[in-house]
Amino acid sequence: MMGVLRLIVVLWLLRMGLRVLRFLLAVAVLAVVWPVTAAAVLSFTAAWLLGWPPARLYRAAAASWPVLAAYAVAAALAARSWRVVALTPVDAWQQATLLLAHGRVLHAVALTAPLAVPLGLLAGGAAWAHRTAAMEAGAAGRHAFAPAVFDARQWARSARAARGRLAAPGTVPLATGRGTVPVGAVIRAVGRRWTPVLEVPASAFARHMVIVGASGTGKTNLMIRLWAGWYAVTLAAARRGRPRPLLAALDCKGGADARAKADRTRRVLRGTGARRIAIWPDETSLSLWTLPPRDLAVLLHQMIEHGEGAAAYYADVSQAVLVMVCCAPGGPPGSAAAFLSRLDYGWLDDAYAAGTGPELAALRAARPHLGDIQLRYATLLGRLGPALDGPGRLGDADAWYFILEGTAEPSVAEAQAMAITELIAHAATSRDTEPRAMLLAADDYSAVSRRVPLSNLYERGRSLGLGVMVSAQSWQGLGTDDDERTRIAATADGGLFVMQTPYPEPLSALAGTRRVLESARKLLGATWGDEGTTRIQRAWTADPDLIRQLDTGQACYIHRGTAVFVQVARPKPSPLPLPPARPAGPVIIPPPARRNGHARRDLGDGPPTVPLPPVPAGGPAGPLDDVLGPATGGIPQ
Amino acid sequence: MNPFAALGLPPRPDLTDDEVRAAWRAIAARTHPDRRDGGDPAAYVAASAAYEQLRTPWGRSEALADLDWLPAIPPPAAAPPAPAWAGAWHAAVLLPARIRHGRPLCLAARAAVAAIAGYAAVLLAGGTPSAPAAVTGCALWWLATARADLAPPPGR
Repeated sequence: MMGVLRLIVVLWLLRMGLRVLRFLLAVAVLAVVWPVTAAAVLSFTAAWLLGWPPARLYRAAAASWPVLAAYAVAAALAARSWRVVALTPVDAWQQATLLLAHGRVLHAVALTAPLAVPLGLLAGGAAWAHRTAAMEAGAAGRHAFAPAVFDARQWARSARAARGRLAAPGTVPLATGRGTVPVGAVIRAVGRRWTPVLEVPASAFARHMVIVGASGTGKTNLMIRLWAGWYAVTLAAARRGRPRPLLAALDCKGGADARAKADRTRRVLRGTGARRIAIWPDETSLSLWTLPPRDLAVLLHQMIEHGEGAAAYYADVSQAVLVMVCCAPGGPPGSAAAFLSRLDYGWLDDAYAAGTGPELAALRAARPHLGDIQLRYATLLGRLGPALDGPGRLGDADAWYFILEGTAEPSVAEAQAMAITELIAHAATSRDTEPRAMLLAADDYSAVSRRVPLSNLYERGRSLGLGVMVSAQSWQGLGTDDDERTRIAATADGGLFVMQTPYPEPLSALAGTRRVLESARKLLGATWGDEGTTRIQRAWTADPDLIRQLDTGQACYIHRGTAVFVQVARPKPSPLPLPPARPAGPVIIPPPARRNGHARRDLGDGPPTVPLPPVPAGGPAGPLDDVLGPATGGIPQ
Repeated sequence: MNPFAALGLPPRPDLTDDEVRAAWRAIAARTHPDRRDGGDPAAYVAASAAYEQLRTPWGRSEALADLDWLPAIPPPAAAPPAPAWAGAWHAAVLLPARIRHGRPLCLAARAAVAAIAGYAAVLLAGGTPSAPAAVTGCALWWLATARADLAPPPGR
């Protein structure tokens, strides 16, 4: 019995002795290389207190190679012997140790710093990486809550450091010379290399991008930054001969703050070089009637809500009439008034006097319904107002900000959204106009998505070669059912920005999971023992709990199975004036395409037999009338 | 021609339709050719053209943009690639303005810290390879951190 006890005691003593020996050895090594130890301790402490990731220390160490190079060159110039050069650091260390022993700390530091700082940064980074990995795995800390507390504290420190980086004016410009769009300072990168600033390549904008965030989380800031960044990068490319940018931003919610947002967008875009920024419908208008006749007929048909069942017959009649009106010989209608005037049997009969048998038969069949159809479209166009009946074209401006009153007048906003997206699609595919690099951005598109599903929008955008960016306030706002929501979010190959939202799980799931180590420790009574197990588990790449707790202006960028948490910088263009532009060169517009071997019918040679609508009584007011009043008035005295 | 000046208005983005109209009416009443004194046809024509341009918010916005950044950004002109030295020269020319519009005091403070640290290193470790290495380190630190204190280049 005593023998066994003695053996246990001896084994314990041996184990403890080995531990003490190992500890003393480590202390001795650290003491011998005291300059490196001091630098490592300082860098470790800085990373801990300032929330830096180990990568930041590694980057600093890598960036200090010129210091080592300068040291080596200076040593080589002084010694001219490789052996002496190789021993120079040892001599410096010996000298510094003596100086330290005599209390001359600054002299000792000055002698050793050039070598100790890079090596210390490297060692500090390695120690910090080990510490964070151990805490993440639950293998370190004094109590069971230590990893969670450590993580929360480091998050807060990293966020504070990110906000601090944004205070510098040059840290996060709107665009870089490398053709990327900086978004903000990185707080944490999961599954991808850490960089101080998150930069999204311009090519990501040519794809589909989704932004989800509750109201007041900084979604508008983020969108304006992305728009402006895309514009700046694309404009820089345009100066090298690529297509000019054309931004179309749809504010689908509308309301009083939409005007403020529009004004802010305009100011930021101006700073990036955009000159003509049109705010629709407040300041300018578009012409719906520039669409190709067939597309125009389809659009007008879709803009009216049609019932089901027996109403389908009337829908078919209405569609047939619209096709006849829009594709009449002589060209499509040029305005709402012209369109309405064509919904008349007499006009159609004249227009199709030389028509084919089926056309005349369709006309006779539709005759009883023409009055109803005209009434419905007169009502619709009256509600839409003059904003879609103007002389403007999309290509006239560098950027358009469309304000749709989706909250106040959903049905009108839906019809407007349909018309605008159709015009944008036409502009993207038209070969008659200057080719433009286009980005269609829809803010709160869910407000009008009942009749134009979001999936349609981006699928069309992708097929037309224009970038589409959509935003919603929640997962539910992305579509009417989970299938559609998943289709929209899962195909966002340009990336997914998730800001604070109460239900981020489906979006987090798109980032996937990652392998983590999970440690369990054996409890001895109420305290941890020194035994336990570690196993590989899967954890969220984009932690939904973290997303739920994001602060205003913080976002999680999910892209290709990685997640980057970022503090978004406020969009602020450079205060420096833009350089003078070079003289404009000729814009080469390809000739109109021939379809199926013959020219388009709306550009045909037929005589323009379409009667123009009557000029409104009184006519447009001229500038003179503003001063002199009506024609009967005199000069105001 | 500056249409704001033609109407005697300040080039502000928050001008209202009424303000523009009032300015136009005042000038037109003074200069109209139908006045008994014959008016001032040239001034009237200039004011008319200016009013035509500024009567809508869109027009004012355009005029303001023209004032800010004349001439306009052109459509793409396939320009010959600029030589590398031209880019460097352009960046150097912009540097004073970028410093002025950035954080010049922070930049100066960093420069002072780097200079003092480098000078101290030379004093303390003079004659050893550590001195030039320390000076290199100080300069490197200043260069690496100075960029954040500069305003971004124009258009970014």
